[in-house]
Amino acid sequence: MTGPDHDLVTVAINADTCISSGQCEMLEPDVFVVDDELVIGVVVGAGQLARSRAEEVVDRCPAAAISIVAATEE
Amino acid sequence: MTTVPNITEPSLYLDGIPHDRFAAMRCEPGVLWHPYGDDGFWAVTRHAEVREVSRNAEMFSSAIGHTNLWDLEADALEARRSLIDTDAPDHTRLRRLIATSFTPKNIKLWEDTVRRITRELLDDFVATGSGDWVELVAAPLPIRVILAMLGVPLEDADYLVELSNYLVEGTGDTQSIPPDAFGNTTELRLLPFNSPASHALFEYGEKLAELRRSDPQDDLVTHLVQAEAADGDRLTGSEYRNLFHLLVFAGNETTRTALSHGAIALADHPEQWQRVLDDEGLIESAAEEVLRWSTPVLHMRRTTSQATELAGTAIDAGQKVVVWYASANRDEAVFDDPFSFDVGRTDNQHFAFGGGGPHMCLGAFLARLEVVVLLEEMAARGIRLERRSEPVRTPSNFVHGVLSVDIGLAG
Repeated sequence: MTGPDHDLVTVAINADTCISSGQCEMLEPDVFVVDDELVIGVVVGAGQLARSRAEEVVDRCPAAAISIVAATEE
Repeated sequence: MTTVPNITEPSLYLDGIPHDRFAAMRCEPGVLWHPYGDDGFWAVTRHAEVREVSRNAEMFSSAIGHTNLWDLEADALEARRSLIDTDAPDHTRLRRLIATSFTPKNIKLWEDTVRRITRELLDDFVATGSGDWVELVAAPLPIRVILAMLGVPLEDADYLVELSNYLVEGTGDTQSIPPDAFGNTTELRLLPFNSPASHALFEYGEKLAELRRSDPQDDLVTHLVQAEAADGDRLTGSEYRNLFHLLVFAGNETTRTALSHGAIALADHPEQWQRVLDDEGLIESAAEEVLRWSTPVLHMRRTTSQATELAGTAIDAGQKVVVWYASANRDEAVFDDPFSFDVGRTDNQHFAFGGGGPHMCLGAFLARLEVVVLLEEMAARGIRLERRSEPVRTPSNFVHGVLSVDIGLAG
């Protein structure tokens, strides 16, 4: 697929503001998980998502702790 | 709008949420000042601004003042302060102490327990044939689940249900027990819901904590007492008490409300339930619609930390801003045909769990699981509900409670 919405971007979680709500884990369980030991959300693997989906996850984080850190070069 | 309609009079809610009043308020530009006591509050009724306030917790504080409409004296506020009445960084610290127990993957571990309890209650309900749905299903289901999670022994469940019911009563305008009930000697104003049952619940929580300190189990109370002992993340005695209280109350009252309004909606809209019976792929969206429809918590209050502006209305520092989830969940700007109960509703961005900010309901995934499992088990049995009485509602502008409703099996 092509178009800006489908471009892959990389996401990150701010460890200071994350409240471990689990919203990101619900929306994208392959990319985010709340770590039981660290008690914060962490990004699994490369943390890549289509831009439109990443924006939705950013928007749905109750603590505004998720950000898009970089557009991924193909 | 020359006169803002009254939306706080508790007795109004005996006839259900005054949706016509909220609908009229949503049409007005800006946010409206609603008189309350000697002062008043800014009434936020549209989805967009409920979200804006909820997500800007620095501006719209939960720690200044109280999260209910009325004010509390400083000592009462401190004594009653829980996760709900804090801002970051206190809120972040407290929330993280219990947050992992409520994440999607960890809540999933409780699915078998939820299903077992649901099956027992439904089997009994089917055998009885009809009765008060609140007493038979909606109340016992969530309380049994949260007590299992907390590690409360089964033989104490009835006592905690009783306490919890007095707290529910405390959200209305009457309390049927005397101030010194359960050996309470604390001034009622220092207790959550001004209820002596809070004293009893605190005392029970302490007793259970004591037991778990010497005999740790795989449960939430053990988890909390271990956090209490850990360096750095110290949980104070008052924080533990209020957290235990919050978990028992919130794990009981709110889901009970969702399961009660859910049953009423399914009984009143048999064609919607038929859609679910025909296509169980609709269970998830049906559960979300039950949550939107029920809106168990009607509002929360915030207090501005600085002067600001909301929807073009200037708001001074230190003023009350009240977000009405009950109104946002029927906002025409967000929901197509908001007054129809539609089990196939898509992109249902309801505010049954709050407006999407850091105070988002801790138990959201647990509540969802309970609603989903109830619908699945009802569908598996081919149960069709029929309403046999008007619901008796809680006279409260805060919780959308149902005290009782007779439900039977449709023929």
